[in-house]
Amino acid sequence: MLAQGDMALIGDMLQFIGVFVSFSIAYVAFRGVRQTESSSLLRLATAFVFLGVGFLVEAIVGLGDLLPSLSVTATAVVVGGLLLETTGYFFLAFSHAIDVVLAKRMGTALLVFPLISLSVTQLQDVLSFFAFYFVMYGVVETIWSYKRTRKTDTLLIAVGLSLIAAGTFFQWLSLLYQYVGVLTLLQIILQEMGLLMMFVPVLTYRSAGGVKLDGTI
Amino acid sequence: MAQYRTQVRIIADVLCTARDLNTEGSGVGVTALLRRGNMSYTRMTKLLSELVGSGLLLELNREKISKYMISEKGVQFLAAYQSFEDFATTFGLRL
Repeated sequence: MLAQGDMALIGDMLQFIGVFVSFSIAYVAFRGVRQTESSSLLRLATAFVFLGVGFLVEAIVGLGDLLPSLSVTATAVVVGGLLLETTGYFFLAFSHAIDVVLAKRMGTALLVFPLISLSVTQLQDVLSFFAFYFVMYGVVETIWSYKRTRKTDTLLIAVGLSLIAAGTFFQWLSLLYQYVGVLTLLQIILQEMGLLMMFVPVLTYRSAGGVKLDGTI
Repeated sequence: MAQYRTQVRIIADVLCTARDLNTEGSGVGVTALLRRGNMSYTRMTKLLSELVGSGLLLELNREKISKYMISEKGVQFLAAYQSFEDFATTFGLRL
């Protein structure tokens, strides 16, 4: 049986994989934005930058638990990481449907969310619930897209998002019941498996020159 | 239901038409581009001059008639567009 410290270490290492995958997807999407000026890719890149930074914050907080000299115990940092993640999921979900102006408005609404006077635990519960809701929305939209395109990679993304949704659900449960052992590790494993599936398009992506819309290279 | 085309999609469509219809190497006329492009004459001519200005299309003046063919840069842009379109479609998005 794994000790609590071992589980925390595994969880922390997995968070760093999440950071790498998120920033890799964001990088390819940003290249797409530079070349095609596509707002869909901009929202996708924004989503993964938020997710990557959110995972990084969580990983640093986790490292603090393992190495007291690096301790980052400020509650604001923990909530901040979760808020960044939820915002990332928000952009991921709504890149399918809504226009940029609305996305900005709702994104701002999410960022001012902590101003509502909730306790830290309640705030984490609410953010985890929203993260779950946004990912589930993304799952439905991606499955819908798969029905249209029949691309295997799109199906993988849908499965990946489903695993992330299951992960966020466990995260919510662990916060709800204040149980941070196996449930938390399960959440991170599911989340990372989902992210690794979403890494497939990055692996299959082939760069094809660098000509932009204005003709510059 | 008709799908909304983004500006980059319209540009890619015009470049594709200029590439596919240029079978004899003498370029493609505005009429053929309009037929495939599904947009007004004014909008098409404005877009064509922008694409020529950016070097994605070449303008050939034959007997006072302008014809257009895709440039090497345009071919490269189309290849990049298609790879990013593929990437976006995988995530269930449209460019």
